[in-house]
Amino acid sequence: MSVPNAAATEDLSSEMEVDAFRRLFPLRYFERHLAESIRSDGRPLREARDTSIFLGAVASANGSALVKIGSTTMLTAIKMEVMIPSLESPDEGCLAIDFHMPPICSPIVRPGRPAEAEPVVSKQLSDTITSSGMIDLRELSLVGGKAAWMAYLDIYCLDADGSLFDAALLSAVAALSHLQIPAVAMNDDGKIVLMSDEDGQKQAKEQVNKEKRKLTLKSIPLSLTCILHKNYILADPTAEEESIVETHVTIILDTSGQLISLYKPGGPVLAYTSAIQDCVALTRQRVKELKSFLDKENSAMEVE
Amino acid sequence: MAGKSGTTPATYSPSLTTGKKKPLLLKEEDWTRPDGRGFHQCRPAFFRTGAVNAASGSAYAEFGNTKVIVSVFGPRESKKAMMYSDTGRLNCNVSYTTFSTPVRGQGSDHKEYSSMLHKALEGAIILDSFPKTTVDVFALVLESSGSDLPVVISVASLALADAGILMYDLVASVSVSCLGKNLVIDPIFEEENSQDGSLMITCMPSRYEITQLTVTGEWSTPKINEGMQLCLDACAKLAKIMRSCLKESASDAQDESS
Repeated sequence: MSVPNAAATEDLSSEMEVDAFRRLFPLRYFERHLAESIRSDGRPLREARDTSIFLGAVASANGSALVKIGSTTMLTAIKMEVMIPSLESPDEGCLAIDFHMPPICSPIVRPGRPAEAEPVVSKQLSDTITSSGMIDLRELSLVGGKAAWMAYLDIYCLDADGSLFDAALLSAVAALSHLQIPAVAMNDDGKIVLMSDEDGQKQAKEQVNKEKRKLTLKSIPLSLTCILHKNYILADPTAEEESIVETHVTIILDTSGQLISLYKPGGPVLAYTSAIQDCVALTRQRVKELKSFLDKENSAMEVE
Repeated sequence: MAGKSGTTPATYSPSLTTGKKKPLLLKEEDWTRPDGRGFHQCRPAFFRTGAVNAASGSAYAEFGNTKVIVSVFGPRESKKAMMYSDTGRLNCNVSYTTFSTPVRGQGSDHKEYSSMLHKALEGAIILDSFPKTTVDVFALVLESSGSDLPVVISVASLALADAGILMYDLVASVSVSCLGKNLVIDPIFEEENSQDGSLMITCMPSRYEITQLTVTGEWSTPKINEGMQLCLDACAKLAKIMRSCLKESASDAQDESS
């Protein structure tokens, strides 16, 4: 960035309109807020944005969730299909996680030119969910060696305004908690078919999964992204803040407070142990908050 | 999209009952529509503008189970490779989510709809108002359950209005399906699958001008006239709903600023 010198912009700021100053000198605009211990959207430095979870947003899916953190919006749906399990793991199903950033979500994504963040977040999500041990893949088995569930988990970013990984992980976890595995039977040809209520009486079919059931989620991974700038720590950055500050720390904890992973992909600020500890403490708080949102939504679903 | 098994490992979604399929729609006089609507009754439409904050303008709509979101970006710099142009350019793209259809799809771009959307909107936009630049209109079909293209077109015009792009009028679009002797308006997926013909009109209702008209299948002249009149009437009503949605969001914005 080519700021002529600090004194000059200082003077300009009193003459210029706020919006113009914000666009021309984003860093100075950002730092002026930090000096007052406030952020441009009016938040305290270490506070996350308002978060909402809505389960069952996609009617045609087996499990789905719509999550909003500030303006960042994620829609996740899980579709269950049947596959023949591989020889190495005949008693296990499979979970395929895909993160999509369609062109609608951000001005930087164009059709045919996927965003850089797309494969990165996709990989981080599958790593996190598989390594957290949240799901026992044996629960997705139907008939050992013959049939198992393939759960396609697709996350769509509908509005990208920073902290994409946090929102994507929360929506993936919410959709998994909402997932209902359909009741199925195996017919004479060895094909899995859905059972409707009338079919329940028929004895000819071998029932594989008698009732709709939910997955048991052992430990739930949740995360918080912070950005580090000088000595400041800012939780849950917006897209504007992410574009100004390049040092990110993403911490993923499970609900019992155990560390699952920690990403600090480079950046100009070297994080001291104390900064990392502060981030972990913030994440611990945030995870508790998110867990209570998630529990509230799930118990509301059960009442219905 | 069904039956494509290029992905590894091969998976299939379990059907309700193998062998016997659900009986196809009857084409007799006393037949009722699967969702219980009258033949000439549209699904209830819900519109909301400002769905995507990252975009210059956006809109979301629900027609029954068809759910669509459209973002508009720009006017912004045209691609470097583009020739100089005195008038603005319009760039459209329509894509589907992988879970939009009953059987999981690939979630790819829909080239045909993209170009249809472009042609449907082009005539309504005052392109001279943004020379040398491009306006991008991107649509994502979140859930598809029939009449996707007409819904995408209507929502896109609302999103353009939300972005403040100058237009001659809002663009509303409605289709009818011909099923035997009957004409059904705003068909759902099952009806589209067993239709004999379809007719779609995209128009600017206050100017009484049509920007796009497509007719496929077998039609008699009186049927075409009937279908066109049905669509035009429905478009006028749809545009009213869209206009009231715009007014609402404008008055909300005013309340906030005052």
